[in-house]
Amino acid sequence: MTHSSELLKGTLQTIVLKVLKDHGKTYGYEITQRVKELSEGSIVLTEGALYPTLHKLEAEGLLKTERVMIGKRVRKYYMLTPLGKSEAEERVLEFVDFIKTMSTVLQVQLS
Amino acid sequence: MLTNEDINYIIKDLNYRGIVAEDIQEELIDHVCSAVETEINNGEKFIDAYYKVLKSFGHTGGLRETQKKSIQLQNQKAKNMIKNHLTIAWRNFRKQSFYSFINVAGLAVGIAACLVIVLFIVDELNYDAYNTKANRIYRLNEEIKFGGNHVLICQSGAPAGSSMLQDYPEIEAAVRFRDHGSYLVKPANGTQNIKESHVIWTDSSFFKIFSVDVLEGNPNTALKEPASMAISRSMALKYFPGKSALGESMVLDNKYHARVTAVYEDIPPASHFHFDFLVALVGDWPAAKEAQSVSFLSENFNTYLLLKQGANARALEQKFPGFIKKYFAPQIASALGNDFTMEKFTSNGNKWEITLTPLQDIHLHSDRKGELEPNGNITYVYLFGIIAAFILVIACINFMNLSTARSSNRAKEVGVRKVMGSLRSHLVRQFLTESILITFLSFIIGIGLAYLLLPLFNNLALKQLQLPLVNLFFYLILAGTMLLIGLMAGLYPSFFLSAFKPVNVLKGHVALGMKSGFIRSALVVFQFVISIFLIIGAITVNRQLNFIQNKKLGFEKNQVIIVHDAYALRPFPNVQTFKNEVLKINHLEKGTISGHLPVEGPDSYRNNNTYWKNGRQPTPDNLVGLQSWNVDTDYIETMGMKIKTGRGFSTEFTSDSSAVILNEAAIPMFSLGENPIGQKISTFDGNRPDGSPDPDQIRSWTVIGVIENFHFSTMKEGITPLGLFLNKSDGNVSFKFSSANTEEVIQSIEKVWKRLAPGQPFQYSFLDADFGKMYSAEQRLGKIFEVFAALAIIIASLGLFALTAFTAEQRTKEIGIRKVLGASVGGIVVLLSKEFGKLILIAFFLAAPLAWYAVNWWLKGYTYKVEIGIPVYLLAGVGAFVVAWLTMSYQSMKAALSNPVNSLRSE
Repeated sequence: MTHSSELLKGTLQTIVLKVLKDHGKTYGYEITQRVKELSEGSIVLTEGALYPTLHKLEAEGLLKTERVMIGKRVRKYYMLTPLGKSEAEERVLEFVDFIKTMSTVLQVQLS
Repeated sequence: MLTNEDINYIIKDLNYRGIVAEDIQEELIDHVCSAVETEINNGEKFIDAYYKVLKSFGHTGGLRETQKKSIQLQNQKAKNMIKNHLTIAWRNFRKQSFYSFINVAGLAVGIAACLVIVLFIVDELNYDAYNTKANRIYRLNEEIKFGGNHVLICQSGAPAGSSMLQDYPEIEAAVRFRDHGSYLVKPANGTQNIKESHVIWTDSSFFKIFSVDVLEGNPNTALKEPASMAISRSMALKYFPGKSALGESMVLDNKYHARVTAVYEDIPPASHFHFDFLVALVGDWPAAKEAQSVSFLSENFNTYLLLKQGANARALEQKFPGFIKKYFAPQIASALGNDFTMEKFTSNGNKWEITLTPLQDIHLHSDRKGELEPNGNITYVYLFGIIAAFILVIACINFMNLSTARSSNRAKEVGVRKVMGSLRSHLVRQFLTESILITFLSFIIGIGLAYLLLPLFNNLALKQLQLPLVNLFFYLILAGTMLLIGLMAGLYPSFFLSAFKPVNVLKGHVALGMKSGFIRSALVVFQFVISIFLIIGAITVNRQLNFIQNKKLGFEKNQVIIVHDAYALRPFPNVQTFKNEVLKINHLEKGTISGHLPVEGPDSYRNNNTYWKNGRQPTPDNLVGLQSWNVDTDYIETMGMKIKTGRGFSTEFTSDSSAVILNEAAIPMFSLGENPIGQKISTFDGNRPDGSPDPDQIRSWTVIGVIENFHFSTMKEGITPLGLFLNKSDGNVSFKFSSANTEEVIQSIEKVWKRLAPGQPFQYSFLDADFGKMYSAEQRLGKIFEVFAALAIIIASLGLFALTAFTAEQRTKEIGIRKVLGASVGGIVVLLSKEFGKLILIAFFLAAPLAWYAVNWWLKGYTYKVEIGIPVYLLAGVGAFVVAWLTMSYQSMKAALSNPVNSLRSE
């Protein structure tokens, strides 16, 4: 099943950062595919949410970009800046912490 | 894989769906292509694959939403905002280059003028600030009032400083200056004398009180020994180039041999004295002897006190009446010999007071008898400050006026921006950016202008001002003022413009708002009020100067040459020989040797001695302060003075050595009645050992003549009692000449001088030039007024010029229709000028009373003054009107002469 976009909203940046951290240079479409693979199809990033997020992270200085000409089209690769790398780790830890808190709040046992 | 054709299709289709933003477009194309490729690999046909991908984006709506979000994110960056504002501001600036030029030019001139004046004011306010102890240094003043005499002096008797130092523990040190005028100076082994005017006799505490750096020698002991002196660095360079001046010997006035014991750094320009030679006030030379006097009543020493840390000057001042009672009263009483007490003296409305002036107040707040140098005047600082503010305000007003006037041109822009969702605050920011950009440009040009104009101003104001280009603080202040002016000038237009309702603007209603330019009219009126005011000020100062130049002075100032420092010819008979020799030259008719001249300047000594009518007991009520001048028998004739009754001095009467010639003003003061000839006046002729005048040594003089009053001081002062005495005094030799060739006269006199006084400097001047110099402050004021009045009117005219251009532009259609219906060119010019003409008329009626008040205030300072009648005011008003009309008429003519076809065919 696919998760609701409401749930995804707060974690989108974390996902993007983590993907970029693990795969290095990546472009927009690739990110959506990667996320799809990892979540076995249960998380589908909409383009409408992905690009604004990428631009926002770029503006904050966490990402840098590189343009490569591929035939008639231009491909824009995203990668983490040093600041982005540390931020990615932090966000992941923060999220783990969040899950722990949620599990106690919702009183469910995580395997 | 996708073919190029497929990719082109995708690019075109996305473009068609409204994805146009450069950055996002590329990215989405790549994304869509990649996704389509994946679908094709899964076995879809291209077109199906494409639509599937589009669907995942949410079709056109979703695509656009993605684009919009990205753009919004980008635009949140302030950098982009400012960049955008600057771009638009710059485009506007270029599009409206005529108005922009006038804006920038007006503001730049205003800023340049303002900058120069601010530098001037800062300099004036920081006089004597180089002294680290400035806030503890005070000068002693005395105010003396008795009988018909009233003097405010900044000098005290010789023992005043040291007695105070003894009596009041809050005083740390005291120093005295004794000014004996200029000296002829040369190194001991030199042959050529040079005249030096900054020579002062002073105490050894000088270096302890004033922060003057001593470069060579010991400041503590430098002036302790008799015949020692300290000289400034530039003097050391001048007299002892290439070697140390320390220990060298110099000769003053051919007779005083002094040893240089210290060399000090030149005293800064912003100081109320600029001594080059400090001669020790110890030993037995005349000035030093005078310094040992115990008389409190001969006020010849400029005395400065250094108070201890934390001492209260006002509290100290409170103790001075006691000081006067203790030291002054006994000396006055013993001189007057009767039952004099200070209480009785003051209860008769008389006054003898000592006050303190803080060091830093001297330059701007003190104008007393005996000042070391002519001081500045706080009134002029205020006046210039106001003028600077006015000029800046005028320039800002221009800016505001033009911006709002152009509003209709920009109203459409505002409307469209608002419709597109611009907030009012965005528009305000946009307009403020524009005004700050223009201000910035103006500042750059203004600073450049100020840099170029500063030498001219320095010349005019006798200053050495410089732009502090290496001072960070200067730039901070500039940047701050720039922002402030930009904001102030831009605030009104930006709020005015941004308040437009888009509906009205786009319908074209805003042009109606143009006519209700009440504020704009008010601003034009304000500009011209200031301009007319300044013009009247300039005319007044110049009229007064003219009046002074042409006033009957009671002596002939033209064609008189004065040879100064005639004492260089000593021993005495030589000066007589010199005079006789010179009179043998053609065209030189009369000559006189005298200690005093009827003009004030560095070489004209003034004194004030007390006399009374012979036979009376001297009391405070009948003492008369009398200028006593030492002259020879030819003085009255050479100077062209007129004898009213009696006769002048003559060699035929040996008794003339104890005769006096009084001026008219002296007669009533001495109560000499209808026939003063033959009556006598008396004065003290010696001091007792304690320094007080000796009542047993009284000398009397017989009045042999009365001369008509003549002006021997500035026109600010009335003519006070004066007496001429037949005495040998070799200060100056003056000659009346008749030749038009002054060059020849100078050369032939110099020849005689060189022969009789080898090695002495030949110093000369002309009486009329010296007379002019007395009013150099007024002449400078007049010039400065002229310059700033001109600036004000230029800036105001610039503004008016642009404003008329704008009105004419607004009314092209009206003018076209009028012309078609038969209006004449003249009629249209009048029509266009009428509106502004009215404003100038209003400005005139507002400026006139203001100017009248200011003119009366300024002239109040003069005992002899010109009448400023209505014609002057009318002249200023008409002048402003003509200038304004000329600027307007260019635009009006242009509009009136244009072919109506051009303005009407477009509709």
